[in-house]
Amino acid sequence: MRISDYIEQSFSNLWKKKLRTLLTIFGVMIGIGALVSMFSFGQGIQDNITNTFNELQLFNYVSVYPRSENNHAIPSSEHPGVPEQAGPYSQILDDEFIRDITETEGVESAFPEVRFPAMIRFNDEEKFSLVQVLPADVCQSGLMKLRAGRPYAPADSNALIISDSLLRRMKVKEPQTVIGQKIVISTLTVDLSLSNIPNIVSFLMGKGLPFSRQSYQFTIVGITEKMGFVGPMPVRSDVFIKPAESDDMKKLSLTSIWDLFQSSQQAKGYSMVNIKLSSTKYIEHVKDKMEDRGFRTFALIDHLEEMKTGFMFMNMFLFAVGMIAITVAALGIINTMVMSILERYKEIGIMKAVGASDGDVKKIFLFESGAIGFLGGVLGLALGWLVSMIINQVVNYFMVKQGAPYMDYFSFRWWLVSGAIVFSILISLAAGIYPTMRAARVDPVVALRHD
Amino acid sequence: MNSDSFVKTEDLTRIYSSGTIEVVALRNVSLSLDQGQFFGVTGASGSGKSTLMNLLAGLDRPSSGSIKVEGRLISELDKDELALYRRHQVGMIFQSFNLVSSYSALENVAFPLLFAGVAKKERNKLAEQMLEKVGLYPRKDHRPFELSGGEQQRTAIARALINQPKILLADEPTGNLDSITSRQIVQILSDLNKKQGLTVIMISHEESLLDEFADDVIHLQDGKVVQEERIR
Repeated sequence: MRISDYIEQSFSNLWKKKLRTLLTIFGVMIGIGALVSMFSFGQGIQDNITNTFNELQLFNYVSVYPRSENNHAIPSSEHPGVPEQAGPYSQILDDEFIRDITETEGVESAFPEVRFPAMIRFNDEEKFSLVQVLPADVCQSGLMKLRAGRPYAPADSNALIISDSLLRRMKVKEPQTVIGQKIVISTLTVDLSLSNIPNIVSFLMGKGLPFSRQSYQFTIVGITEKMGFVGPMPVRSDVFIKPAESDDMKKLSLTSIWDLFQSSQQAKGYSMVNIKLSSTKYIEHVKDKMEDRGFRTFALIDHLEEMKTGFMFMNMFLFAVGMIAITVAALGIINTMVMSILERYKEIGIMKAVGASDGDVKKIFLFESGAIGFLGGVLGLALGWLVSMIINQVVNYFMVKQGAPYMDYFSFRWWLVSGAIVFSILISLAAGIYPTMRAARVDPVVALRHD
Repeated sequence: MNSDSFVKTEDLTRIYSSGTIEVVALRNVSLSLDQGQFFGVTGASGSGKSTLMNLLAGLDRPSSGSIKVEGRLISELDKDELALYRRHQVGMIFQSFNLVSSYSALENVAFPLLFAGVAKKERNKLAEQMLEKVGLYPRKDHRPFELSGGEQQRTAIARALINQPKILLADEPTGNLDSITSRQIVQILSDLNKKQGLTVIMISHEESLLDEFADDVIHLQDGKVVQEERIR
């Protein structure tokens, strides 16, 4: 028999039992649809994270922390943000260090992480936030994803970049429209002047703190898109200003209560310096150099393998869930094929009587299983795509409302598309093996007498 | 018995086993047929006629004994070789016609060509020619249930002949037909035998038909040949 005849026969035989064929194909379609959406979701998340990292060149960064030998709160490389054991500093991260490191081979720029707490006021709405001090050149280097406006330049005075999520929290519906508008940052400062006597008195009586507010006006020049994930990123705030403005502001530069335990001498140093390299190939070299000098380092690229393992486990889990649906679909195919063979028992006898070999009979039924798989695979792919698009729109509708950037949570790669169809056909062929063997074993003498 | 017979069986025996019970359907049947012979087989129900037919068709295997067709030992062929033998050497027609009910007359006639690897266009052309020969061309698109018994049997004959076999095995071909149609069908077989030299082996209850058309007739009883008649 010719391949074209097998294909034509299989589709024509399936068409003769339209309802049963369609129901079986629906089963496969749902199974493949579930598997495809699960996989595309896993891939979508993976793509979003790695693409953002690549786009912002986050893999080119090394963060340097003082070694944990004093009582300062230092994030460990394993758990950034979590304080470690106490002890004295062996090295200090200061401006001299930054100048020094900038001259190292492969280092493009270096900037300290400086953040301070402040109240942000815009259009009668006030929210608490950590303001990050970011040099203009870093801001212009493409480290931040801007949704509107522009990065600030060294010549801009009182320029500010704010995240769209903070603006949304401040009830701004269309963040793009605020470019050029004024915004106020209020800081806390220890104020022992006469104008703050009531607070000083309360403090002396043990009932309050001798703090007062200082307000500074800024102009919004850019709206940044908040990243959909958190971590030890070089940029992790909702509000950004230049060092020049920060230096002129009176403020308590505390990001956590741990900062209060620093001695004045240790306070000179930065808690972290971010180093941007021109290429990832310098990572090891710079890390070694920093560690030799007594610092701790953290590079996101070192965690790439862990991330990949994490993605693999996530994909395996999603695959397992999808496989449940596929298994049910496969049982449906077995049922359909066994039914078909029972119904066409006599026909199988006739096939053999007119010269069909056992192999011909097997192939006829295997092609039918394969055709179910092919149609189920194609339709399942379409279903998976449709469902993914709907979920994507619904999720984004709610996420964007909460200030998260619009993301494609599902990713359909060519290998997923072709793989889904091939997998569907293979599963269907596997499901067709038992019924096919049964068909081939039919005794023509008995079958021809069958009514 | 002629040693270079076209079809030759020697001590052909077929025993069916069901648990501990053994049923001897055919016992030591030795036959010899020449090419172009019209051979009749008759006997009561259960006498082993169909068993003999299935063995000659290569649909079943003997428990012992041998079958030779054109000097080739059919009883020793493997499954795939038997399929090829059925495809090219023999054509079969049955009492219940055994047409595929979901196929048209044309598709039924073309069915054996499918397994012979003939292209669809060629299959349809050959099947149309064959239907023309049995006078059913105008009904080529009809399904079996839309055809009369005689028309169904003529379709089955067209199907049996499509691969140009050398032997036509007819298992009670008139069993479901009225006497006039029965005669017409056997007449077709006889014409094929006489004009094209086709070897015909026909099972029938109707001894009158065999007496009229067959060259030789054997009578089977309890799986044994009890009588051999040379009619012409």
